Amino acid sequence: MARHMGEQKKETVGTVERKMTDIVMECRNLSKIYGKIIAVKDVSLKIGEGEIKLIFGPSGSGKSTFLRCLAMLIKPTKGEVFLRGECLTKSGVDLNKARARIGFVFQHIWLFHHLTALGNVELALRRVLKLPKKEARERAMQALREVKMEKWAHHYPAQLSGGQQQRVGIARALARNPDIILLDEPTSALDPELTGEVIDTLRDLAKKGTTMLIVSHEMPFAREVADEMIFFDEGAIVETEPPEIFFTNPRSERAKIFMARLIKRTRRE
Amino acid sequence: MEFLVKYFGLLLGGFITTVEVTMFGVLVGLALGILLAIGDIYGGRIVSTIIRFYVEFFRGSPIIIQLFIFYFTIPDLFHTLIDPFVVGLLVFSLNSAAYQKGYIKGAMEAVYEDQMTAALSIGLSKAKAIFYVILPQALRLVIPAWGNEFCSLTKSTSALLVIGVRDFTSAAKTIAGQTWRNLETYTFTAIIYLIWISAVMKISDIVYEKVKIPGIEIST
Repeated sequence: MARHMGEQKKETVGTVERKMTDIVMECRNLSKIYGKIIAVKDVSLKIGEGEIKLIFGPSGSGKSTFLRCLAMLIKPTKGEVFLRGECLTKSGVDLNKARARIGFVFQHIWLFHHLTALGNVELALRRVLKLPKKEARERAMQALREVKMEKWAHHYPAQLSGGQQQRVGIARALARNPDIILLDEPTSALDPELTGEVIDTLRDLAKKGTTMLIVSHEMPFAREVADEMIFFDEGAIVETEPPEIFFTNPRSERAKIFMARLIKRTRRE
Repeated sequence: MEFLVKYFGLLLGGFITTVEVTMFGVLVGLALGILLAIGDIYGGRIVSTIIRFYVEFFRGSPIIIQLFIFYFTIPDLFHTLIDPFVVGLLVFSLNSAAYQKGYIKGAMEAVYEDQMTAALSIGLSKAKAIFYVILPQALRLVIPAWGNEFCSLTKSTSALLVIGVRDFTSAAKTIAGQTWRNLETYTFTAIIYLIWISAVMKISDIVYEKVKIPGIEIST
C-alpha cells in the first residue's frame, strides 16, 4: 500500500502541499540509556511519505541503536515513536503488529539459515499477514523480482554471495509492503565489489518512491537519492541538511571534519 | 546354540521391552525437553529455577533410585499401585527429558540471538519466532546428541529389573542363570545390542544428512 501511495504522491508532488498526515514516521525526544551510557540522546525526527533520509556519522555514535528503537526492536528509555500518527511507545500497543509495518534491513543481513530465499521472504506473508499459500508465494516472488533475485528463489542463504543475501534481506523487508523501510548500513559488511548490486537495488526502490531511512556511508549514493542527510554523533543529531550542503559547506565543525575524511576515503577507492 | 531357540520368547519379550521403553523415553523426552529448554531460556527466573531443580534431580540421582521413588514412594503416599511398566515409561521419559533439555538449550543458544532479532523484525511474535525460526535450526543441530541419548537409554533399561520389569539384558541374565551357558548367551545378547544400536545410529546419520541446511556444514 505504502509504495503505491508513494507512486501517486510523486505524480502530484509540487502541486499538493505536504500535510501532517503525510508524515510516515516520527520520533520525539527519543533517548536510549544503558546504565551510565547514553547511546541515543534526545533525538527528534520526521520522515514524510516517499522521503529518503540518510543518517551518517562515526561508528559507535548510536546510529544502529537509534534505528532499532524506531523499529521497536529495542525499547527506548524515553521519548515517543509514531508510525502514521499512531504512538508505538505507549503501553498496550501490539508491537508485533507495529513491527510488521516497518521493514528492517540489517548490517549483517541475518537471513533465516534454514529457509530458501523464497522461504525467507514468504515467512512474514504466511505467518504474520496470514495470506493463503498461493498469494504469499506470488507476492514473495514479486519481491524477489524487484531485487532481481527471482532466479535464486530456491537457494539457501549459505549458497548465495553476500550481495545476493542482502538483496534477499531487502526483499524480505519490502514484501509485506511496510510503511517505511529502515536500513542499518546495508552495504558495510559486504566486500567492496558486492556493494554495487545492493546500491542498485536501493536506487530502484528510491525511484519507486519507497519511504526509507538509511544509515550509510555510501556518499555518491547519498548525494543521488537522499532528500536530507543527518549527521549523527555521540547519540544525537548534530546537523541536518540537504546533501548538497554537506558536500559543499557543512555548518558544524564536526561534520566538516567527518565529511573531509569520508570524501578523501571515497576518492581513494 | 539351540537352547537360545527354547528361550526365544523370553529374549524377544525382553528386547521388545527395551525398545518400547527407549523409544517412548526418547520421544516423550524430546517433547518435554523442548518445553523445558524454552521455559529455561524464555520463562523468567522462577520457571527456570524450577526447571533447574528438575534437571538436577534427574541427572544427579541414579535411575534405580528414581524408579524406586516412582514405584514405591509416590504410590505409597496416595495408597495406590502403579503398573511397573508404566512407571518405567514415565521415569525414562522424565529422565531423558532432563538430559535432552541440556542438548536442546545448547543448540537454541547456538542459533544466535540475531535470528530472534531478525524474526521479530518481520513482525513475528516471540512464540512464532521460536516455532518457525529458532527450533527448526536448533533441532537439526541436536540430532547427533539425540543419537547418543538413544544409545545410552537402550543400555540403561536393565535398571527396570529393580521394579520387576524384564528388559533384554535381564532376560539374558535369567537364561544364563538357568542354563549356565554364560559365554553364548551374553555374546549373542551383545551382538544383538550392537546390531540394533548401529542400525539406529545409521538412521540418525541419514536423517541428519537429509535435513541438514544446504551450504552449512557442522563437524560432528
